[in-house]
Amino acid sequence: MTIIDEFMPLFAPRTIAVYGASAKNHALPNVFIRRIQEFGYRGAIYPIHPTASEINGLPAYPSLADTPQPVDYAYIGISAPLIPPILAAAQGRLRFAQVVASGFAEIESGEGLQAQLAQAARAGGMRLLGPNCLGTYSPRGQLTFTEISPRDVGTVGIVSQSGGIGTDVIRRGMARGVKFSGLVTLGNSADVTPADLLEFYLADPQTRVIGLYIESGQQGRRLFELLRQAKATKPVVILKGGRTQQGLIAAASHTGSLAGDDRVWVALARQTGSILVESLDQFVDTLLLFQAVEPRPERPTREVVLFGNGGGTSVLATDAYARLGLAVTRFAPPLIAALNDLHLPPGTSLTNPIDCPVGTFQQDDGRVAEKILELIYDQGQPEAVVMHLNMSAFGGRSKPEVLDNLVDAALRVQQRYPGQAHFILVLRADGEPSLEARKRAFRERALALGLPVYDEMTPAGGALAALSALELFRNRRLCQ
Amino acid sequence: MTMLDVQSRGQALIRAARAQQRTALDEAAGKSLLAIYGVRVPQTRVVSAQSSDFSEAVATACASMQGPWVLKVMSATILHKSDVGGVRLGLCSVAEVSAAISTMLQSPEIKAHVIDGFLIEEMAPAGQEWVVGGWRDPQFGPLVMVGLGGIFIEVLKDVAFRLCPISQLDAEDMISELKAAALLTGVRGQPPASAQALIAVLLQVGGEQGLLMQQADAVMEMDINPLMVTADAAVAVDARFILG
Repeated sequence: MTIIDEFMPLFAPRTIAVYGASAKNHALPNVFIRRIQEFGYRGAIYPIHPTASEINGLPAYPSLADTPQPVDYAYIGISAPLIPPILAAAQGRLRFAQVVASGFAEIESGEGLQAQLAQAARAGGMRLLGPNCLGTYSPRGQLTFTEISPRDVGTVGIVSQSGGIGTDVIRRGMARGVKFSGLVTLGNSADVTPADLLEFYLADPQTRVIGLYIESGQQGRRLFELLRQAKATKPVVILKGGRTQQGLIAAASHTGSLAGDDRVWVALARQTGSILVESLDQFVDTLLLFQAVEPRPERPTREVVLFGNGGGTSVLATDAYARLGLAVTRFAPPLIAALNDLHLPPGTSLTNPIDCPVGTFQQDDGRVAEKILELIYDQGQPEAVVMHLNMSAFGGRSKPEVLDNLVDAALRVQQRYPGQAHFILVLRADGEPSLEARKRAFRERALALGLPVYDEMTPAGGALAALSALELFRNRRLCQ
Repeated sequence: MTMLDVQSRGQALIRAARAQQRTALDEAAGKSLLAIYGVRVPQTRVVSAQSSDFSEAVATACASMQGPWVLKVMSATILHKSDVGGVRLGLCSVAEVSAAISTMLQSPEIKAHVIDGFLIEEMAPAGQEWVVGGWRDPQFGPLVMVGLGGIFIEVLKDVAFRLCPISQLDAEDMISELKAAALLTGVRGQPPASAQALIAVLLQVGGEQGLLMQQADAVMEMDINPLMVTADAAVAVDARFILG
């Protein structure tokens, strides 16, 4: 059985059993049933209940043995000690059991119960997700666990050892335009580990970008082997919780005393071309960029053109990008001369960074951007372009369509030079409600066009630096 | 020598140490293990501490090697030999070596330990002191480390780790991510040291067929400290292996 065959019943279950839903209809498993129904789940749902004949309007069954069909996925929302006997009695009629309950190895006295749970899952012939997790979100299978979950099937596959972080990733990702091929919360990972799902996502044609939130080093070796063999063919972004540098006190050698958890993860990332990020924000920022752009190993990104309004912003970004290992380099004199020949209003700076005051951008209702970018793409061969618009400066002073025209103009140039430059849009605002609303609407339009959008220059630069690192890795390993 | 020969010779050496209830390799055994994997080590002879008249053994040892020599006390319980006066450098005659042994045997700090013997070695040529190390992570398996040696490793912690096995590119990356990498090319009139020789040792220790991969079951920690790197070679001047 391939890894795809093994895990597809999780990502697109034909039948779902639900333990713990009550006839009174207000337990968390009842909510789960409502959520997957609202989410458009089309397979059979079997509430399992010792006595009730109907739950959420669905026929209920006393046990797994009584369901009309074998079960691909079971959502198990009953308390910890009750679960092992149920799993052990499954007799191969269940493929995946997601155990939501806590009270296992995450508490001091819970190790034994967790071992019992894992043993019961093996005896019952299923794979176990959790315990101590929240659920699985798989838009291709209309499976979800969160209150708000986008229906679009995307290309970003996530594994999270924290349910809360998993929910955050879905919600923040949605706000930013990240679309998922799946997101599985694994909690304590008593059976299925992040390495298992990494293997699935690497093989899954729907998944192009992979994100891992990891807290334990469990199966670290296998994780490393998988990443090493994959040679960064799909970008893998790792957010590691608990990267403490607790020197290994017991170590007898220098090497041992210097080898902390942090060193291991940094080493793993560097030698597999994975991207190690430091925060949830960076995680989403980086996934967003990889979702939007095709890495270009044959011409790794370093040179960035900054194009927007705000001189100080450009200066600060130039510094920040330099610290990230990127470069904002002054254009060659012939290109500067050609740009000067456009005779833009005074105050416009055309050397890279390009600083266009709002007055300049308003020329021709924003279409001036096309002329500028055309010259830059034609003569400057930029590796990446960050277009940044300070929406506060546009507020009230310009026709609403100016912003649209600016971005449309940039996109037209981008399309005339396919594969030339990675294009990122930064929409800056200040929290003022009407401006934020406008920004949100504008971001949605940009996202619909496949543009990655950031709120500030530095996060955009961080994501670009991650892309650059991946391109360099592939360049060195594959292009030779 | 085939790969398998290398592996089984290494295993035999570790088995021998374990048969003596050792949890670490003594320096001579550690260097032999490195030599099996192709790491250059100084010419080394061991003189027993048992014989009351060791001068003949010293004479035989010195006659088979090029002076000047280094003398090191061997004891499983002395962790830092130089701290207790257990290392003497630049000894130029048999008489000097013998006298140094007598001095060590009378030193209270050394007498307090069980002495396994004395190591007489050829002096390694002067070079930059680097460290190559190994560590077996319980989840990830063996890792290899490189950094500038001496006091720098403790103070600056300017080191790079990789999971084994490493490739040539990994070894190059490890070195280039160090602040100390610039020293290899020779800074401000300082003599350069061979990056190539350092990379070769990293691969002998941490590569696909390297020591840490092949002896992963046995080696828990290791330090080559210092690894003396000159303009054209790298020599392991001290070696510590913790078994487990």
